[in-house]
Amino acid sequence: MDACTVSEEHQRPTDPAHPAPEPPASFWRQVVFSTDHKVIGRQFLWLGLVFLAVAGTLAMLIRWQLAHPGAPVPLVGGLLFPASGGVVSPAAYTALFTMHGTIMIFFALTPILIGGFGNFCLPLLIGARDMAFPVLNMLSFWTMFAATAILTASFFTPLGPPAAGWTSYPTLSTAVGAPGVAQTLWVLAIYLNGASSVMGAVNYITTVIRFRAPGMTFFRMPLTVWGLWLASILNALFVPVLAAGAVLLFFDRVFGTRFFIAGSAIKPGGDPVLYQHLFWIFGHPEVYILILPAWGIAGDLLSFFSRKPAYGYKVTVGALIAIVVLSGVVYGHHMFVTGMSPLLGEGFMVLTMLISVPSVILGVGWLGTVWRGSIRLTTPMLFALGLVTVFGLGGFTGLFLADVLADVYLHDTFFVVGHFHLTMSAAVLLGAFAAIYFWFPKMFGRMMNEPLGKLHFALTLVTVIVTFGLQLVLGYAGMQRRLVDPSAYAFLRPLMPLNRVVSQAAFVMGAAQVLFVVNFFYSLRWGPRAPANPWQVGTLEWTVSSPPPHHNFAEIPRVFVGPHELGNPAVKAARGVDFQPQDQEPPA
Amino acid sequence: MTFAVALALFPALPRDASAHGHGIDAVLGYLTITTAVAFSLMLLILLAALVLHRGRDRVAHYTHGVRPRDRAAAIVAGAVVLFGIDAVAVVRSASALRSGFWRYPDGDPAAYRVEVTAQQWAWNFRYPGADGVFNTPDDIITLNELRVPAGRPVYLQLTSKDVVHSFYLPNFRTKIDAIPGTVTRLWFQPKETGTFEIACAQHCGAWHYKMRGELTALTEQELVRWQGRAAADAALRYDAADREAHDGWPWMPAP
Repeated sequence: MDACTVSEEHQRPTDPAHPAPEPPASFWRQVVFSTDHKVIGRQFLWLGLVFLAVAGTLAMLIRWQLAHPGAPVPLVGGLLFPASGGVVSPAAYTALFTMHGTIMIFFALTPILIGGFGNFCLPLLIGARDMAFPVLNMLSFWTMFAATAILTASFFTPLGPPAAGWTSYPTLSTAVGAPGVAQTLWVLAIYLNGASSVMGAVNYITTVIRFRAPGMTFFRMPLTVWGLWLASILNALFVPVLAAGAVLLFFDRVFGTRFFIAGSAIKPGGDPVLYQHLFWIFGHPEVYILILPAWGIAGDLLSFFSRKPAYGYKVTVGALIAIVVLSGVVYGHHMFVTGMSPLLGEGFMVLTMLISVPSVILGVGWLGTVWRGSIRLTTPMLFALGLVTVFGLGGFTGLFLADVLADVYLHDTFFVVGHFHLTMSAAVLLGAFAAIYFWFPKMFGRMMNEPLGKLHFALTLVTVIVTFGLQLVLGYAGMQRRLVDPSAYAFLRPLMPLNRVVSQAAFVMGAAQVLFVVNFFYSLRWGPRAPANPWQVGTLEWTVSSPPPHHNFAEIPRVFVGPHELGNPAVKAARGVDFQPQDQEPPA
Repeated sequence: MTFAVALALFPALPRDASAHGHGIDAVLGYLTITTAVAFSLMLLILLAALVLHRGRDRVAHYTHGVRPRDRAAAIVAGAVVLFGIDAVAVVRSASALRSGFWRYPDGDPAAYRVEVTAQQWAWNFRYPGADGVFNTPDDIITLNELRVPAGRPVYLQLTSKDVVHSFYLPNFRTKIDAIPGTVTRLWFQPKETGTFEIACAQHCGAWHYKMRGELTALTEQELVRWQGRAAADAALRYDAADREAHDGWPWMPAP
């Protein structure tokens, strides 16, 4: 059958006329241009991890400059910045933070969680043999690959890399402020990245709606699936808005239109603020696109490793849906200082504040899940707990920025930097690590090293809290973002020692990731072989071998219970284990 | 170790030189305390669970589905945050905004008006001069130096020549974007004399960090003396043919 259409035929539960298809024989179809969701998931994971390392390195250079403005970067300075004798020049600095943000958001965190674990987990967790549109899935990865190639090329252009910030506001990002081809390549890369995301989103949404195994009702789906599915809905709705902004910006840069360049009395023109609207209509949902899968993963892992069902599962799902709905109507808080009308300002303030209610309900669910559990502090569990802690800190600081009055002072300061790093970067990264440590056995068939993982966790959590927590303090004291040398201002000079502490914590954080890299590669080759169900949990991916066979399920499973049936005394009495696989009939 | 260093270095808000700054500082303080309590409570419960309910020997407490008291717990926690933090902050902020930051001194004859044109990477200030009208030959123009009276409302209208900038006064707890093609506005009232920094808060290119200005709040006598000198300088520098320099605009009425 045509691989590009919904292959529901594959889904028939026990029809001998439709056995699981054989894997392709050729190397190219099996490894490179594969349509297997598990292979594509691993491809996204590799791509994301490589760019995580790149963007992390850029962060180290940023932190070096903020700790020691004007001092040559040790070791690599001469290689990276030969023209300035190893010193990060103002132009280089603007390129560093632009590329750090762009890569982290669009090319590292999104590919790891949504591309990597979205692809790998979604079909397995709902009992499907593959995505609804396997060819589209492959195209999604290769479109992303093209985007990364273009973005990488932008590093090596004559006038230097893109430097208008990850938000790339006009008119700084138009020919007025950014001549040279780099910014045009940035726009193209973002557009293609968005196209890839939308392809993935359409696929995930369809797969969840149509491909759930018999008995896998919406309220029996793992929270991971809920998170990925809701994130995909936001992706499908809002990424096209960013794409529209990117197209208009591309026209302004290449064809001389003036959508975002203000006019004058004699020359008609557009409005730079229009782009900010388009960007944030997408940009605010984007932070939820990043965190929703991580929330879902944390919700599942807290339940699995507390050995009891997720507390108030349906309430948690309701809170997630409420946040998704609200996320579409709050973007104005990013623009409180653009001269927005007071009425709009107050409206966006109230709507944004409302998000705290479902967020707190989410937190109650997490705490209720671990409370009175039988907690096992495995590495994935530790990272999930870290996510809860870090997101808590970041989430509460969001209230400051939702408040117009406080935001007028805190806008564009390091308070914002600390806040969004805690919520949509550190929390998401901790979620990504939790996912890697948890699903590595299923993905690669081997276990990761636990003691090394725990050390990685401890160092990462402490340094994340110090680094980004102190950034909140710096912002509270008034320090603006994106200054190559804050000591240019007298009122910021007393903050320079604190900047050095932030940098030292960040350097330790960076170094700690070496533990992860070592663990990852060592385990890939020499880790102990993973059993089918190393964590003793009941979701469907653990009912098949590690790694799963080509089409996952020889027979499409029939689902009887929810994902978190742990610690059920009846199951314990009947079978001697404390978990209930979703595809087994529960004891009467 | 790092925490000890950090605590020792813990900086406070910059000095408040604005007649309305205390409103912001009070809301910031309220949010800091309430969110710190809420976050600590959350951490405490989490840590208690990790200490008390950890280990393989424990039998997890099995519950299934959503019981009425689970629903109640969610509603109570949501309500506490909604009414204890959100509503209080919104009401206090809205009242501070309406009575202060958003109550522009349009009808106030005592308001001291200045037009601000931002450019990469400097602030141009245009004062109306003796005639009180902008964009006329007697305008006073300064670069990166804003002189205002202490104790009177200062009313700014801002635009930009090139890219988006953001006019940021840390000591007055306020900022507003300067956007090409648009005139935005900002007002504040210095409660004391002194020199304070003007910063750019919006990334505006490689030399963004150098876009620093100074605001000097003067007594009325000092201001009059300075205006006399500055008007004489402005008259000397005025060139009717230099159209580029006449970048002021007639003061915009309230929208």
